[in-house]
Amino acid sequence: MARALARHWGALLVFGAAALIPIVVRDAYFLDSLVLILLWGALSAAWNVAGGYAGQVSIGHASFFGIGAYSAALLATRWQQSPWIGMLVGITLSLAAGAAIGYLSNRLKGPYFALSTIAFSQVLLIVASRWRGFTSGSEGIPVPFRPGFATLGLGHVAWVYLALVVAVLYWAVELWLEHSRFGYRLAGVREDEDAAQALGIPARRLKVIAVTASAALTSVCGTLWAQYVGFVDPFYVFSVDLSVRFALNAIIGGMGTALGPFLGSILITSLETYLRATLSGVKSGFTGIYLIVYGVVLILVVRFVPDGLAGLAARLRGRWARAHA
Amino acid sequence: MRRRLAVTLAILVTLSAVLTAVTWGQSGEYKIGVLEPLTGPLSGEGKRHLEGFEIVRDMINERGGVMGKKLTFTVADAPDPTAAASEATRLITREGVKIIAGTFSSRLCGAASEAAARANVIYWETSCVDPRFNKRGLKNVYRTEIDATGFGWYNIEFIVKHLAPRFNLKPNQLKIAFVSEDSSYGQGVTESARARAKELGLIEVAPPEYYNFTTINDMTPVIVKLKQLNPDVVHHIAFSNDAPLFWRQAREQNFQFKALVHAGATGYGGADFGKAMGHDGNGVFALLEPGPGFKLDSLKPEGQKIEKEFRDAVQKRTGSYPLGGHQLAGGGLWLLKLVLDKSQSDDPDKFRAAVMSLDLPVGTMINGWGVKFSETGQNSNERVQHYMLQWQNGQLVTVWPEEFTTNRAKWIPLGAWDSRK
Amino acid sequence: MDPARRLGLAQIDVVAQLGVSTVLLGGIYALIAVGLTLIFGIMRVVNFAHGEFLMLGMYLGFFAFTLLGLDPWFVLFVSIPLFFVVGALTYAVVMKGVIHASHNVQIFTTVGLSTALQNLALVLWSGDFHTVRPWHALTPVRVAGTAFNLSQVVAFVVAIGLTVLLFAFMRWTHTGRVMRATAQDREAAILMGIDTNRVYGLSFAIGIACVGAAGVLISPLYAVYPTAGLQFVLLSYVVVVLGGLGDIRGALIGSLIVAAVEVGGSYRFGTAWKEIFYFLLFIGVLVFRPAGLFGQRGAETLGV
Repeated sequence: MARALARHWGALLVFGAAALIPIVVRDAYFLDSLVLILLWGALSAAWNVAGGYAGQVSIGHASFFGIGAYSAALLATRWQQSPWIGMLVGITLSLAAGAAIGYLSNRLKGPYFALSTIAFSQVLLIVASRWRGFTSGSEGIPVPFRPGFATLGLGHVAWVYLALVVAVLYWAVELWLEHSRFGYRLAGVREDEDAAQALGIPARRLKVIAVTASAALTSVCGTLWAQYVGFVDPFYVFSVDLSVRFALNAIIGGMGTALGPFLGSILITSLETYLRATLSGVKSGFTGIYLIVYGVVLILVVRFVPDGLAGLAARLRGRWARAHA
Repeated sequence: MRRRLAVTLAILVTLSAVLTAVTWGQSGEYKIGVLEPLTGPLSGEGKRHLEGFEIVRDMINERGGVMGKKLTFTVADAPDPTAAASEATRLITREGVKIIAGTFSSRLCGAASEAAARANVIYWETSCVDPRFNKRGLKNVYRTEIDATGFGWYNIEFIVKHLAPRFNLKPNQLKIAFVSEDSSYGQGVTESARARAKELGLIEVAPPEYYNFTTINDMTPVIVKLKQLNPDVVHHIAFSNDAPLFWRQAREQNFQFKALVHAGATGYGGADFGKAMGHDGNGVFALLEPGPGFKLDSLKPEGQKIEKEFRDAVQKRTGSYPLGGHQLAGGGLWLLKLVLDKSQSDDPDKFRAAVMSLDLPVGTMINGWGVKFSETGQNSNERVQHYMLQWQNGQLVTVWPEEFTTNRAKWIPLGAWDSRK
Repeated sequence: MDPARRLGLAQIDVVAQLGVSTVLLGGIYALIAVGLTLIFGIMRVVNFAHGEFLMLGMYLGFFAFTLLGLDPWFVLFVSIPLFFVVGALTYAVVMKGVIHASHNVQIFTTVGLSTALQNLALVLWSGDFHTVRPWHALTPVRVAGTAFNLSQVVAFVVAIGLTVLLFAFMRWTHTGRVMRATAQDREAAILMGIDTNRVYGLSFAIGIACVGAAGVLISPLYAVYPTAGLQFVLLSYVVVVLGGLGDIRGALIGSLIVAAVEVGGSYRFGTAWKEIFYFLLFIGVLVFRPAGLFGQRGAETLGV
């Protein structure tokens, strides 16, 4: 047990700190940032299941996020159902959507697959924004806040712990992918699909399963987000920007590693909120500078640290180990 | 290994301690939060709103500020709903503000006001028009500007009361076509206009034509379709890149109609349209705050004084007449000052009592507004007088209601293209 | 009554007008897609920043017109070499380092570039919407019951000219053949002794030169603002995939098809749905014929 903990010292540090912080810190903004870090991290971990572990890099995961967000919002406003029910509905719909994307992943490779996922999310965006009778169209849906756990009307501290539970669960799922037979076979498919197929691994089926699971996990977080922020806007929840963000955290943190998405989220979310808070108050003509910085940082990190923060940590540890051998 | 862990934990703790520090304002100052989109596609208007806030803040401070203290801002950027909610929370916890003003767009105000409401902080909205904004049962959320229903209402009022008689048409003979950019704003205004048009018996020639303004590349299909249906009035809610496109292509296709009516400070109501079109934009109507021609003496004495001062201040700072964004933000902030003068406190209950107690007739304030808030925190549509402006020779001038202005609407009906010089 | 169902002479006029609009719109899309098909086709890089270079071209047209009084048609000739240099520089500074990295790295490099460029434009030139109105943008051309704009016609002519030039270049010059070989099979090209690095740099530079020139040409037709690139970027990917990667003819034909789908779809079903049609077309092409109209069967799996 102690050895297991020692092996996962990084996760222990990250999740442990997240668990301890609300006890020490009561500042709502800090807690809000923490909730977002955990939530974006979980979303990236969900993306990672398809992108990092199965090798299917999608830039359309906002499709599932939006499905989850809309399911919760619609069930709450039209049929007065608890968002947990909405979550289940979202999961069901996302499984179907995920299967569709999974099918596409078997026909398309690399950038083609990525582009097809973008098209998919944009089709959903148009449907959501134009179906005025059902989804309130472009006006979006304000999500009612009713205090209580059943209605996911929680305070900041409760949200931190809820997000933390989800994050740890998703991290565990990723870890399972690293150590289970399913995961090993999936890794084989990712590394060399033809070879895997030759060895008798049902590559196509595994890819669909991975993408479908990834979709469902993403949808759950979409529901949580809708309840947390309180407003579902179709142009945001189905946006390409959001899809890019899910992939980004995982890539910067280390694709195909369990902690990578969370490390990436810590860096990117903190960077973004810090830059926005610091530079946006500057003379109104210069807002936008923080996004230039953000873009440049992105280019640099992706170029010089391509295997992500987790890869960087591993390399440093290797160097440390060699130095002390 | 353990040492590294300890060091990392120490850093984390120090970091959180540093980040937890709340910045207190200097004494003698009263700080409110201002939340606007300063990056992203809405940044043009967001910045104008910020400008309006800053100009009126200076006017307020010349008069002694609020509650005996100098009014200062802490500004935050809200490019999307998540950022809006986060930044609202930051303003509340890090900057310690008790009042947040903002936020221009309907997609942002919902999320931001939710965050404020949960922290029991006053949310003072000066622009977004989503009709559901004040129907969520949130006690400390207020809006100084009319909602989309009001916009649609004013537009149809104008068409029926002022235009129809001049076309020699009765309302139930008047054919109207609705075209709109597809956003929360466009949809809100268009649908409320449609509802009112239906009430008054206007003939809607086709289902409303919505389009995504970020990807619209060609309006010819719409124009060709509408040409065949021959509407008298085109009700077009446009954003800023689609208005010149539609106008240019309508001219090319020789699509003739008797009037085009828009609402709001973007698109046909924005300075960019005038700069783009010059005299070729003559004749287009846009529902806005008062523009040139507005008779100061149609206001009450205290209104005249403050409106003149406002216009002069905007002229001095920007070199032009106040634009829609300036007027909405400035007017809204001035209203906030009036409330704080009465309540002398930012305690939510005292504040609310002061808000509800305000009752001033049209013509008392900036933009010629009056004030009377409903139970749900909405400044009533009747008190927030809006005006129809028309592009005349490169300027947006006030033409309606006629008692407020020296200018009169021209080119009714519009007539042939290139005939309006 | 559904106007699309009316019969008679009026209907012919409508069809003619829509046809003309389709062709002219297709020309504009071709201008933009031709550069992208080179970059995506030869380098296999999803260049998210393609729209931003278009936007920069539009700003060039705007500033040249407003500050120097130069007509965009004149600026066009300057813009081609100018954006060639810009493209070469961007390749050297940003793209070269990641050309051998994984696709994801390349994609996110261009995402970062896109964000940085959009906001650079915002900071330098504000979010205001500018318009360029040279005499030819105000000149309607009326032919046989249809109407269009002189600027559009010229943009179309230039698009055709550019397409022809590039096609000739790719087919009949040595460099062009080298570029096509690299597009078809990167590994084989290397084995053949081709300096793929130079090919990539050249492709990128030519691609950016095309899209920058496109920006100048369309500046009289569309509003100029920092996020103007978003209007065309996703659509140009549809065109490129439809036409076949790296295929110049395909970019032109694909543009016309996408324009037809847009214009026809807008007219019949309403402009709100127009994007659905080409996105569904896109997914359909990807599922049934991913190599596109002119691509080699199976070419989409090479190099990815």
